[in-house]
Order: sequence, then C-alpha cells, then structure tokens
Amino acid sequence: MLIFTAVAVFVTLIIFLLIHFTPYPPVSEMKFARESLSQAGKNRADTYSKKLYTEAESYYDSALVTWQQQNKRFIYFRDFDRVLVLANLSLEKADEASVNSLNSTSSLKTKLKQKIDSLNELVSEINKLFTTYPLTSETRSRISKGKILLEEAEIIYKKGQYLQANRKLTDAEYLLTYSYDDATTHLKNYFKSYSQWKNWVDKTINDSKIKGDYSIIIDKFSRKCFIYLNGIRKWEFEVELGTNWVGDKRIKGDKATPEGMYKIAKKFDSRKTKYYKALLLDYPNEEDKAKFKSEIAKGSLPESAKIGGLIEIHGNGGKGIDWTEGCVALTDNEMDVVFKITKVGTPVTIVGSMVNLEKIVNR
Amino acid sequence: MKNKVLMGLAAIAMVAVLSSCGKKPQVEIDATNAAITAAQTAEAAVYVPAEFAAVQDSMKAIMADITAQESKLFKKFGPAKAKLATTLTLANKVAADAAVKKEEVKKEVETSLTAVKAVIEENKTLMAKAPKGKEGAAVLEQMKTEMTTIEASVAEAQGAFDKGTYMDALNKVKAANERATGINTELKDAIAKVKGKGKPAAAPAKK
Repeated sequence: MLIFTAVAVFVTLIIFLLIHFTPYPPVSEMKFARESLSQAGKNRADTYSKKLYTEAESYYDSALVTWQQQNKRFIYFRDFDRVLVLANLSLEKADEASVNSLNSTSSLKTKLKQKIDSLNELVSEINKLFTTYPLTSETRSRISKGKILLEEAEIIYKKGQYLQANRKLTDAEYLLTYSYDDATTHLKNYFKSYSQWKNWVDKTINDSKIKGDYSIIIDKFSRKCFIYLNGIRKWEFEVELGTNWVGDKRIKGDKATPEGMYKIAKKFDSRKTKYYKALLLDYPNEEDKAKFKSEIAKGSLPESAKIGGLIEIHGNGGKGIDWTEGCVALTDNEMDVVFKITKVGTPVTIVGSMVNLEKIVNR
Repeated sequence: MKNKVLMGLAAIAMVAVLSSCGKKPQVEIDATNAAITAAQTAEAAVYVPAEFAAVQDSMKAIMADITAQESKLFKKFGPAKAKLATTLTLANKVAADAAVKKEEVKKEVETSLTAVKAVIEENKTLMAKAPKGKEGAAVLEQMKTEMTTIEASVAEAQGAFDKGTYMDALNKVKAANERATGINTELKDAIAKVKGKGKPAAAPAKK
C-alpha cells in the first residue's frame, strides 16, 4: 500500500512538474495580433497601406511558424520568446497600417473629390471657349476621351475604389489639361493681333460717325456681324465663316476668312451669285499683298502660292457651322437687310475679336 | 503486490494515452484550405470581399488554436475540428455566393451593353433630326466626336466582358451610358425646343 501511495505521489508530482514548468506560448498576444490584422483588412490597409499591412502579415506568419517549430522540440526545451516578439511586432504594424490606411483613404478621398471638381470645371471651360473653335480632330478626340475617363473615375470613386479612381483621373487630367493648354496656347497666339484689331474697329466706328454712313464689322470669334450708322451699332447678326477661320488668310484655298479693313467692291443680286445675294470685298488690299509678298520672300510661303480672292459677304447662311471657303455667310433674310443698306465703298472691317481674350475667358 | 504494480503501470499508460490522444486534424485542414483556394479561384475576393475575408480570418484563428493545442501536454483537437467543418461549409458557401454575384454582375453588364447600344443608335437617328441652325451644327459635330469615343469605350467594355473582367466592364459601360444618355437628353431637348418654337422669325431683330 505504501509503495502504491509513493508511486501515485511520484506520478502526480511528475505531472505537476511537467505542467508547471512547461513554457506557455503567447496565445493571447497571437489573438490580439490576429484581431488587429483583421481590423486592418477591414480598414483596407491591404490596399491603402500595403507595405505596413504586408509587414504585419509577415510577422504574424513568422510567429505562427516559429511557434510550430518550437512545438516540435521537447516540452521543456521550448522557447516562445521569439513568437511573442513577432506577435507584438505584427500587432504594432497592423495597428499602424490601420491608422495609416484610414488617414490615406481620407486624404485621398478629399484629394480625388477636389480633382474631380476641378476637372469638371475644366470641361465646362473647354465647352465654353472651344465649342465652335476649329480644334483639330485629334484634340477634340482627346477631350472626348478625357470626358469619358472622368465619368468612369467618378463612378469608381463613388464605389470607394480610390486608387483605381485615381489612376483614371490621372489619365483624364492628362488628356483634358493637355488639350486645354494646347488650345489656349493656340488661342493666345491668335489674340496677339488684338491691339491691331482694336485700332481697326475704333477707326471703322469713327469713320462711320464722321461720314454719317454705314460701316460693317465682322467679329470672327463671336461670329457676329455688327452694322454701325453714325458710329452707333444698329444691327447685329450671326455669321458663318471659313472652316479654317482662326488666323488671317494667307493663300488661296486655305479656307480662312481674311482680317483687315476692306470695302465693298461689287454688289451681286440673286441673278449674279449662287449664294442668294453677295457683296464682294476688295480682298486682297494693299496690306494683304505686301504681307503675302513678304512671306514669299521669307520663304514661309512657296513661290507657287497664290493670294486668292473673291471674298464676299453672302447669303445661304444659317447652317450653324463654319462652311464657307473663307467668305462671311448670313441668312438670306439678314442678307436682304445688309444688301439694302450698303453700297460699293461701304467699309467692312474683319477682326479676330472685338473683345480681348481676358474678358472672353472670364465672362 | 502484483496488482499494485499493474495499477501503477495502468496509471502511467493513462498519462501516456492522455498526452497523445489528440491528433492534428490534417485532413480537415487540407480540405478547408482547398475550399478557401476554390473560393479564391471563384474570385470571392472581388465579388464577396467581406465574406471571403471572414473565412480567411476564421482559418487563421483555427490554425492558431491548433498550434496552441500542439503546445499542450494533453492535446484536444475536437473543437478545432468542429470549427474546421464550419469554415469548410462557409468557404463553400462563399465560393457559391461569389459565383452568383459574378453572374449578377455579368447580367448587369449584358443589360447595360444592350441599353447603351440602343441609346447610341437612337442618338444617331436623333442627330439627323436635330436643329442645325445657329450653333447647332457645330454642337452636332462635337457630339459626333463624342459618340465615336463612346462607341470606342463600349467596345472596350465589351472586350473586358469577353475576358470575364465584369467589374471593369461594368464601370466602363456605365460611364459610356452616362455620356450617351447625356447626349440623348441634349438632342431631345433641342428637338423639343424647335418644335415648341415653330418656325423661326422671318426678319432679323433690329438692335
């Protein structure tokens, strides 16, 4: 009986010692690390704080592997210190990733909203300035592609996929700003002649006042024909121009509407023109001829180039698009008015714009 | 005396049995991991991300439980086995849900593609009827360029659809639809305006 009791006590003691001195793995720490990782995932740290999140995951996986390796050792020789360190590192990185992700998401969201708003403003600006401006088909196509990418970015943004939205916005921004810059540079170059146009306009209105007669001013940018009597504006009509209306006419066949101070050279009623009624201008005038000769001399135009002519104000307009070969088209009803009040010698001044670019951009 | 020795041996045997009775449920682990991989292949991360993340979290917790049991002298894998069975079922459900969701998105893309193509065709008809006076024709020219871009975008969406990347296709087709519908409204408004106005005034207004 004594021996049995001794054996039982011995076995119990052994079991107690085995249990008591067994090293304990960091179960709670691993649980906390796992929960933090899960929370970081919910906060989309895998996307918005990828580096930290990957580090946190890597520490957790290493902790688990180290733990499993220690389990293979004899129970007394196990050491979970490294597991504890790795679990704590995982927890720390996961928490950091969570905070970082929330901050990044929030600031990215704000940044993207601002970018979307500013690009929408840019689209409005493009529509305002360039709807009737003869942009190249490539530029129009780029603008159109930019608009659709902006639309796509907005859809993705609303779904909360900010990185993907950002990529789309970057592409849209490139296409839209590039096109806008390209078009405005072109426009600015065009408006370099503004001071000269202003002088012509002032002189034309003044002449109308002094002579007490009619004068016509064509504003190409606003597509308007203004008729003055005694220096006072009496009529205002919409006009249609040559398809390549931006810039002065340089050579025959360039489909540009010339800029300068002209006079009506001839009047054609409906029997003498296919455009209802027409007023032939004295293009090219002396200034045009001198400019043309100078361009030939400089070599900016080939020697075989011709200056062109037969620039008219005529009817058959109202198509809503620039379609002429360089002439100014009015509707037949409007042409009746202009034809009636003008005579051979009536001044016709054609300018790029009567309003400066700053005012156009800001209106 | 003989009995006492036998009892002692029995006690030692019992300790040995208790300390080694739990066997790591490797078969169940492999089966659950396979189910999770299948869910991943079914694009669960794309179509049901929250549910898929829950399954992954659950598997991580189970593996930690099993490792904790392996550290013990008296191993007990019963609860882990039960959890593995639940997670396996959940992973299978997530895979099935992902397939259902993917099919829903696929159908949505198909419907949207049909719808946007119809709007594009309608726009082409409306363009022929739209007023061309004033700046109308210039605006129509611009719309034509936009329609070309929209058609290219629809083609891209169709390409994404054919490749099976339905979410991408859906975003593209929605954007195309927004633009096409915008143009459709503009065209209808312009046509209605002209109809409402009747014929334009015969003589220009004197300023």
